[in-house]
Amino acid sequence: MDIVKADHVSKQFVGHKALDDVSLAVPEGSIYGLLGPNGAGKTTLLRIINHITAPDSGTVYFCGHQLTQADVNSIGYLPEERGLYKKMKVGEQAMFFARLKGMSKHDASAQLHQWFEKFGITEWWNKKVEELSKGMAQKVQFIITVLHNPKLLIFDEPFSGFDPINAKLLKDEILELRKNGATIIFSTHNMSSVETLCDEITLINKSHNILSGNVNEIRHRFGADRYQFTFAGDERSLLAAFGDRVVSNISSDRNEDGNTRMTLRFAPGTSLHDIIATANDTVALSSFSADLPSMDEIFITSVENNNRKS
Amino acid sequence: MNNILLVINREYTQRVRKKGFIFTTLLMPVVMLALMFAPALLSGIGSAPEAITVVDNSGKIAPYLIDHYSLPYVISPLPVDSLRTDTDVNTFLVIGEDIIENPTSVSLYHRGGGSIETETLIKDDIKNAIEARRLEDLQLGNLKELLGEVEADVVISSHKIDNQGNESSSNSLTSYLIGIAMSFILYMFIIIYGQLVMMSIIEEKNNRVLEIIVTSIKPTHLMLGKIIGIGAVAITQVIIWALLIAGFITFVLPGIAGDQMFAELAALKAGTLNPADATTDFGVLQVMAMLSSLSYIFSIFGYLILFLIGGFMLYASLYAAIGASVDNAQDGAQLQVFCIVPVIVGLMFAMTIGQNPDSSLATILSMIPFTAPMIMMSRIPAGVPAGEIISSLAILYVSIVAIIWFTAKIYRVGIFMYGKKPNLKELIKWARYK
Repeated sequence: MDIVKADHVSKQFVGHKALDDVSLAVPEGSIYGLLGPNGAGKTTLLRIINHITAPDSGTVYFCGHQLTQADVNSIGYLPEERGLYKKMKVGEQAMFFARLKGMSKHDASAQLHQWFEKFGITEWWNKKVEELSKGMAQKVQFIITVLHNPKLLIFDEPFSGFDPINAKLLKDEILELRKNGATIIFSTHNMSSVETLCDEITLINKSHNILSGNVNEIRHRFGADRYQFTFAGDERSLLAAFGDRVVSNISSDRNEDGNTRMTLRFAPGTSLHDIIATANDTVALSSFSADLPSMDEIFITSVENNNRKS
Repeated sequence: MNNILLVINREYTQRVRKKGFIFTTLLMPVVMLALMFAPALLSGIGSAPEAITVVDNSGKIAPYLIDHYSLPYVISPLPVDSLRTDTDVNTFLVIGEDIIENPTSVSLYHRGGGSIETETLIKDDIKNAIEARRLEDLQLGNLKELLGEVEADVVISSHKIDNQGNESSSNSLTSYLIGIAMSFILYMFIIIYGQLVMMSIIEEKNNRVLEIIVTSIKPTHLMLGKIIGIGAVAITQVIIWALLIAGFITFVLPGIAGDQMFAELAALKAGTLNPADATTDFGVLQVMAMLSSLSYIFSIFGYLILFLIGGFMLYASLYAAIGASVDNAQDGAQLQVFCIVPVIVGLMFAMTIGQNPDSSLATILSMIPFTAPMIMMSRIPAGVPAGEIISSLAILYVSIVAIIWFTAKIYRVGIFMYGKKPNLKELIKWARYK
């Protein structure tokens, strides 16, 4: 079942269209990546799913019914630019946000103390936020976001500004949350995190949804007819041997041991047997594999193609 | 609803616990009491009056000049030229030979700045002297005595009565001063606490706390919670002040006043005191007479709270809309002119209207919500018909609903707008968003 479904959502701001007829579906229990260049409309979409702003047209469904204010208590939101009240004490502040989310005083206090212990930050309870370092504040913010055990977690650029240690902590927590049954949507520019974490993605460019689907499927789709060769020999003679069966030379570089590693895209329908035979005849092939494009490549290719079209 | 209470509670407790709040709350009443008594006490101290040296070239005016307490005349036989260089003489007056025929041949010389008050006083004295001299020159016999018999010294004793004809002890100068003080307190509270609302919104907007909060609470409710929470801090402060002043009057004043003063105070209240006989400064006595009535103090503060709530809600919602439409305090400071100007206009009219609390201008300005709080507080100490107070409050509170409805719409859109400062046209457009 889809926990969130956006149906033909559009949103217009003074002078520009932030979202134009965007649809997507987030399966329950998945980790869903929302990708796109800066200013594509990701944050606007996340705000709409959070019931912060309403779409001009289109509908957002939550667990099968139309999203209402009450559903927001089942959502945890970590905004892109994270903020806390600087002059307020950490514990009081966490209690305030927990109670706003509808938790009772007792539950909020018990759960907060658990989390603070888990992160090893119990001694911060009575510190003011302004006394904390950025990384410390991010931990507090994260706890506030997940405290009320929301079914759906929305992280806007969760990795920006995190040091590698905190980023790993966050990754582990995201996986842990999913294991416990939560669905996670996050927007990011960090493509390696998409490859390691996301089940599905949507790529938004210039307020349109230009690519949606399962990460593996997408990578295989973009990776069709792409092969990587590692060999000793002359790369030009190999290219010459393939002739016009090669559509593009994606990359080629020399390893430390003197071997060349080359990634090529072939014309659709080129037989695998044929490729291996040609390569074997021309150079001393040491490895051969199908090549999956990185999400980085997919992102850049899709966005550039889309920009060219429009 | 529950979440509004959480917001109110946060705004309130975070602020009343601040050291700055506790400090000003305890210190201000001392300053206020000092201000009330200072003018009366200071007038008794004063510095030694400086004499005016007079060079009377006509020889006809000097005999008629009568010394004032603060302005004695010293007749000098010295020529003007020597006075010019004599640094012991700071102010000197030169009267021309033909002064009786030509009243313009008078010159006043002063080292440093001259005082308008002194000049007016001298002008009147010379005028009287010339007139007296001219009367004498007419040689109408005992005209001077006749005039003396005709002359009447009028002293008005003012009595305030209510519709039932009951008299209450009141002194119009004191009520005027209390009224101005109350207007001023309102002005201060509206601006200071209004700015707090604005700054608090700008802060939330800048550190994006807002985005987390609005997932749990409607922006309009957040704005209301903020205004009410901060308003409650202001009310707390006023109530503490009222209690401190009441405590001072009940417990401290009898200790420092002394028996003589109390006897005179009692005489003043009974209406049997002759100001000339009083050993205590009459102004101080009058202030004391009004302040020593606890019910008077509490009723004034009661009205102050009603108009403070009204005025604060009205202006705070404007401040909230401003805070929501800008990104930083500097832009906010520019836009808050829209709040400060009407408050100051109210305060300035309050000062003039306090002298004439029943004028029709006073009534009109009391019915305009933006000036009503300041104007009404300047009039109430002197007494305003209940009907007028009620209609002024009613108009004020109804306008609050309308203004909040309007500003909440701007707020709701503004808090998610970053970047360029919006102009008025854009603000109105925001308010029209569905």
